[in-house]
Amino acid sequence: MTLRERRLRTAAYWFVLPAALFFILLNAYPLITVLWDSIHFKNLLNKSLSGFSGLSNFKEVIHNEYFAKALWNTVVWTVLSVAGEYAMGLVSAVALNQQVRGRSLFRAIIIIPWVVPIVIAGMTWTWMLTPDYGIINLWLTKLGIIDKPYYWLGELDTALLTVVFVNIWRSFPFYTISLLASLQSVSRDMLEAAAIDGAGVRTRFFRIVMPQLKIVSLTVIFIHVIWTAINFDFIWVMTEGGPLYASETLPIMIYRYAMESYNFGNASALASMMLGFMICGFILYYLFSQRKSRT
Amino acid sequence: MLISRRKQRLLTFITYAVLVGFAFYCLFPFLWMFATSLKPDTEIRTLNPSFFISKPTLKHFDNVLNGSAFITFFKNSVFIAAVTTAASLMISIFAGYALSRFIRFKGVKAFSVAMLLSQMIPGVLLLIPLYLVMKNMNLINTYWSLILAYTTFTVPLCTFMMKGFFDTIPYEMEESAEIDGCSRVGIIFRILLPVSLPSLVATSLFAFLNAWNEFMFGFVFINDEAHRTLTPGVSLFKGLYQTDWGSMMAASVLSVLPIVIIFVFMQRFLIEGMTAGAVKG
Repeated sequence: MTLRERRLRTAAYWFVLPAALFFILLNAYPLITVLWDSIHFKNLLNKSLSGFSGLSNFKEVIHNEYFAKALWNTVVWTVLSVAGEYAMGLVSAVALNQQVRGRSLFRAIIIIPWVVPIVIAGMTWTWMLTPDYGIINLWLTKLGIIDKPYYWLGELDTALLTVVFVNIWRSFPFYTISLLASLQSVSRDMLEAAAIDGAGVRTRFFRIVMPQLKIVSLTVIFIHVIWTAINFDFIWVMTEGGPLYASETLPIMIYRYAMESYNFGNASALASMMLGFMICGFILYYLFSQRKSRT
Repeated sequence: MLISRRKQRLLTFITYAVLVGFAFYCLFPFLWMFATSLKPDTEIRTLNPSFFISKPTLKHFDNVLNGSAFITFFKNSVFIAAVTTAASLMISIFAGYALSRFIRFKGVKAFSVAMLLSQMIPGVLLLIPLYLVMKNMNLINTYWSLILAYTTFTVPLCTFMMKGFFDTIPYEMEESAEIDGCSRVGIIFRILLPVSLPSLVATSLFAFLNAWNEFMFGFVFINDEAHRTLTPGVSLFKGLYQTDWGSMMAASVLSVLPIVIIFVFMQRFLIEGMTAGAVKG
């Protein structure tokens, strides 16, 4: 290694040092603590019990009467949100990709929901959905879709679905922008050639455009599956997991274990489990994208 | 061209219909928020609400600005978001530069894997240990707890964004500066940053938005009014004024305002950043 190279290496290490410190102190160390705490007794309210606990934290979490419910809710919440967001994102991206006037204005408007804080989005929709004076209920009754105002966020069967709806509203613009970027790179020549060969609009879309969106779609969906599954803000702000745990998901459960019952051992066990799910998801994504790129 | 003229016209019509529908869907909640914030209570609690406000009032804004701690929350959020932005930008300029130019060194390579991993680790899983770390360092109820947490979670994305931007700048530019005796830090600040100004704006926008919009850590780490940030502050209005939707919406308008202003002026950069972020994953 030349002297210059060695000097450059020193410089490079100094450059990454601050970011690496943040990573080690506030990412790696806490992560290891979570794994460590998950197999130890740690309860701020009951300090007498401490030390190695084996898998008892995991057992307690799994035997919690709401665990299965929360797990199921997390799956429903994630799958429906991501599916809805993708559909909305695709439709809006295709519309924005057409040669029409006012495109940039429409694009600007469509991104707005994504920029506002989740809390504000949640609050505004909560107000619009209130049973007594909420605009949505008034519209729906006027249109004759429902007979009388419905408490969307307060009923067992609609609470989670309503939050999913609002989540889709706030998150789909990200898909729009990502998909639009790759739609714009679809070659026009190829589309024209296909048209000359007699391919209709639908064939062109599904045979030429969609295959080119595959990689972006996969990436965006994967990121959002994680972002949605771990999202705490939306559900907490709109329903706090209620009514009667009808919209409780795993992140809300972690919060409850940690900040309401101060049982850090159980909370860590749950967090570790979620980490495990995430790693599984990551491996699946990796295998899937490997196979995709090979074919 | 690709389709008959009649079909083309139909398609244009459908496109407009879809776009107008989306625009309405995206904007309506904000319009309604704004309208509600200006309505007197009698017009809010009515079974026939409309956009037309017969007696517009600033009562709710007055209530929020003078009758609550909103201004404190707002100032706290501005301060925390600004410091977070500056810190993450500073850190990620250097880290991004190293990733872009020095990936051949083993340590830098390992660092890049670490950054990728930390981008994947969600905050809620680290909530408990981070809370304990902050508690042990006596940082609960201080600005620093949030600044540290936000910086940690913004740095990876910002680093990858900066790396992407530096990658597009030819290395020859640096070599000539190096021959002229410019130091490494000098090269970054005098040669690279001036040409990547738009990218710096995009990156700092992201950092600012992240810090401004974050809720969970602000909610958990801060328990006193004097240090509370905007997002938990506004969410707590719900409990304080159970049914005062007018004030709630006035507070929402005021908290969305800075973001909308930023957005109007810097939309282009934001889109650039979103696309870069999506591609990098």
